[in-house]
Amino acid sequence: MRRVAIVGLGLTQFRARWIEKTYYELAFDAAKMAMEDAGLSKEQIDCAVYGIYNDFFQRQYQPDAFVHDYIGLGLKPAVRVNTGGATGGSALRMGFAEVASGLYDTCLVLGVEKCADCYNYELGMATPEVLRAILYTADMTYDNPAGRTAASGFALAVIAHKEKYGNPTEEQMAKVSVKNHFNATKNPLAQSPKILTVEEVLNSRKIVDPFKFYDNCLYTEGAAAVILACEEKAREITDKPIWISGVGASTDWVMPGNRPNIYTFESSREAARRAYKMAGIRDPMEELDLAELHDAFSGTEIMAYEDCFFCPEGQGGRLIDDGTVMPEGKLPVNLSGGLIGCGHAVGATGIMQACEIALHLREEAGARQRRNARRGLVQSIGGTLCTWTVCLVLEREE
Amino acid sequence: MDPTQRQRWYEHMSQKYGIPKEFLIREFERELSWGNPMDAPLEVPDKMEVCFKYSLGGQSRFFRELRENRKILGARCSSCSKVYCPPRSNCPRCYSRTEWVELPGTGTVVACTVQHYTTSAFIKKVPFICAYIRLDGSDFLLMANMEVEDVTRIHPGTRVQAVFREERHGAITDFFFKPVEEIQA
Repeated sequence: MRRVAIVGLGLTQFRARWIEKTYYELAFDAAKMAMEDAGLSKEQIDCAVYGIYNDFFQRQYQPDAFVHDYIGLGLKPAVRVNTGGATGGSALRMGFAEVASGLYDTCLVLGVEKCADCYNYELGMATPEVLRAILYTADMTYDNPAGRTAASGFALAVIAHKEKYGNPTEEQMAKVSVKNHFNATKNPLAQSPKILTVEEVLNSRKIVDPFKFYDNCLYTEGAAAVILACEEKAREITDKPIWISGVGASTDWVMPGNRPNIYTFESSREAARRAYKMAGIRDPMEELDLAELHDAFSGTEIMAYEDCFFCPEGQGGRLIDDGTVMPEGKLPVNLSGGLIGCGHAVGATGIMQACEIALHLREEAGARQRRNARRGLVQSIGGTLCTWTVCLVLEREE
Repeated sequence: MDPTQRQRWYEHMSQKYGIPKEFLIREFERELSWGNPMDAPLEVPDKMEVCFKYSLGGQSRFFRELRENRKILGARCSSCSKVYCPPRSNCPRCYSRTEWVELPGTGTVVACTVQHYTTSAFIKKVPFICAYIRLDGSDFLLMANMEVEDVTRIHPGTRVQAVFREERHGAITDFFFKPVEEIQA
């Protein structure tokens, strides 16, 4: 297997609404930025992998074909990946495989999502219709008719975890929300930069118990792209290659009622184990300098600390209480603002997370730069309670 | 199911899915009147639907010009000068921005076929022509349907002109093509 590096990256603003662009126009911007960042022309891109989640969001089946055409990569091979919220992570994994296998020397991995074109005319707003589009990805025969949402699914897991281990408490979840909204204030591309207090989070309106408004990520429109290259090309292209040293992926029962329990996410644990093994990491708390975890909800970030082995099972809440995951802590989590602060442009999210880690490893992260960052983790989860998880370890050149 | 329950079932499904009751009766009468054994495969009505207020983004002006001014615009690349219709904000060949140019609405059929069978949305309009048309002033082909009296008279090379409908919605269907000679006649 060949070594693979990120040699270029491009990110659009993450916003509630990109009314001035269609999904393929937004994708074009990120692709162009990534090529400019790498100093490559489109002729030097050998293949592409697209991460686009929901066909309904784009109002287009097979939207990848139109993105590929619009950015002028016709006649080059391309595939689209869709694993729900983990789409971006899965696209990176497929791009890694394209290059590591020796099939291609360079690969564009691009994620894009528009969602706020979905619209409920009776209520005069987008979100309930966005949720309707999402719920077509829940089991249509048994789960969808229960009126559940992604939030209620994860709420049930968080409640089960608290029942078993006594955490996360609502205060601990609020602290995660405060942290991620604050981190977003240092990220010029973030959707929800906010200075909040724990009380403000606790008093924000209820969405699904125990999640209040500020415990949830928002729906986001945006695009993110990276260019991957094999070692030989990477060294020609850049003196700051960011190596993908670990890739782990796993799946779990799609209907969580079939699992032994719902207070741990076994696919996440397995994906993390595999990524660490490949990267040669034994103690993630000591060997990682920062992490971007999939905080679709504040409580799931806390569960992710455990699933990524930052602490023993059941002790996730401690890491936010003792400041470990704060910007100046031992292992800062979601310096981008995460999904809660930066935003969740589903297909683009995992790639945005990888871009964030890469920026820190290149020492180009501006006001939020993690000092001496050498190695970081990306966690990308999707589906009903982590049907899919992808973990990636990124490292800078030693 | 007894006849009263059956009627309620038809009303519920008709309301939920917008399917006229007569069709539901046609499809489900046998099932609902104990016509099928318990173990037989069971079919149920459903539909997948999402509503949009869809932003046309960089294509917006193209559709406003159709609706308001009966004009077809192309997008010309500011560096290689290629003209795209359907328009694009960015040239996919050289990555430069494009600018709007007005096209005359005339063109030439490059390839055409007669559609005798088609999707449920268009099935009442057969036969009609589905064609690739090279608009004058554009470097690429536009797919269009043509409504003509005699479908056998359309061939590659036929000169055509866009005809705008009186009722326009700001959609690509605001115009259709007719042979120039039929318009002149």
